[in-house]
Amino acid sequence: MTANQNTTDSTGPATKEYVHEHAPRLAWAKHAPEVYKAMIRLDAEARKGVDPVTLELVKIRASQLNHCAFCLDMHSKDALAAGESVERIIQLGAWEESQHFYTPREIAAIELTEAITVLTDGFVPDETYEKAAKLYDEKELTQLIAAITVINAWNRFGVSTRMVPGHYTAGDFK
Amino acid sequence: MTARTTHLDAGVRDAMIALGAAAKKGLGDPVLAELVMIRASQINACAFCLDMHVDLAVEKNGESAKRIALLNAWAEAPEQFTERERAALALTEAVTVLTDGFVPDETYEAAAKHFGEDELAHLLGVITVINSWNRLMVSRRIVPGGPQW
Repeated sequence: MTANQNTTDSTGPATKEYVHEHAPRLAWAKHAPEVYKAMIRLDAEARKGVDPVTLELVKIRASQLNHCAFCLDMHSKDALAAGESVERIIQLGAWEESQHFYTPREIAAIELTEAITVLTDGFVPDETYEKAAKLYDEKELTQLIAAITVINAWNRFGVSTRMVPGHYTAGDFK
Repeated sequence: MTARTTHLDAGVRDAMIALGAAAKKGLGDPVLAELVMIRASQINACAFCLDMHVDLAVEKNGESAKRIALLNAWAEAPEQFTERERAALALTEAVTVLTDGFVPDETYEAAAKHFGEDELAHLLGVITVINSWNRLMVSRRIVPGGPQW
């Protein structure tokens, strides 16, 4: 389904019209091509050594917290295409109460993602860091921190320039 | 205070440095870049970044102690900052505190009045890069003024 497509309502045959799609504010990658290239390079460096399944969970959770619609569209589609379950994606928003859907390493990564994403609420708690440090060695942990940092960076470009969700197809940027 | 870890993959570090250089070069306003980086680091409570960027602002740009001190209350000190600087600082705050909800149209439009599209894209780059450094430093609890980061 594409954005703005009229669909049959589940309660009856009537069609419903969605709100009109907004336009992006700025084609930032076109106006700052060297910055875009540097972001691509940083993304590639930061994902090295990070489990790809965990990486998509991290990217989706950070994008939820930062309200990046474009990033959510992209990473939920990439996760599904890679075999992730709808259930695990949806439950990410309430992972504290659905921990049995995830491995301990995934939970530690998600918790660390939240702490590093919401910095303005105050630092990264010792217990969150230590929980992750028990399950990830130093190199793995710093790569995970880098990966969390990079999706936060993409979120900032996505939200500030109002990048439009709905047009991404899994694998477009791979 | 000791750091939790000072490790950072060399590839990530180099890519971060390249990203910062590209954003700052495109913005072409080192005085403003330091103001933006100090303000974001205040909001994200990054001690290492504050220490570093206050030094850079003073030593490289001749920034005044008064302007640095008033950055935390820039909206109430319009005589200390130009309209362009204030538009950039408002944008910095909005893009830094994304978890409180989006970047308001009026904030974006005020910035778009003072910055061309190329400049604005690079300003967003500078804001994003310092937010990234803030995350890398706070999470590893890098010691302000320390030699290893």
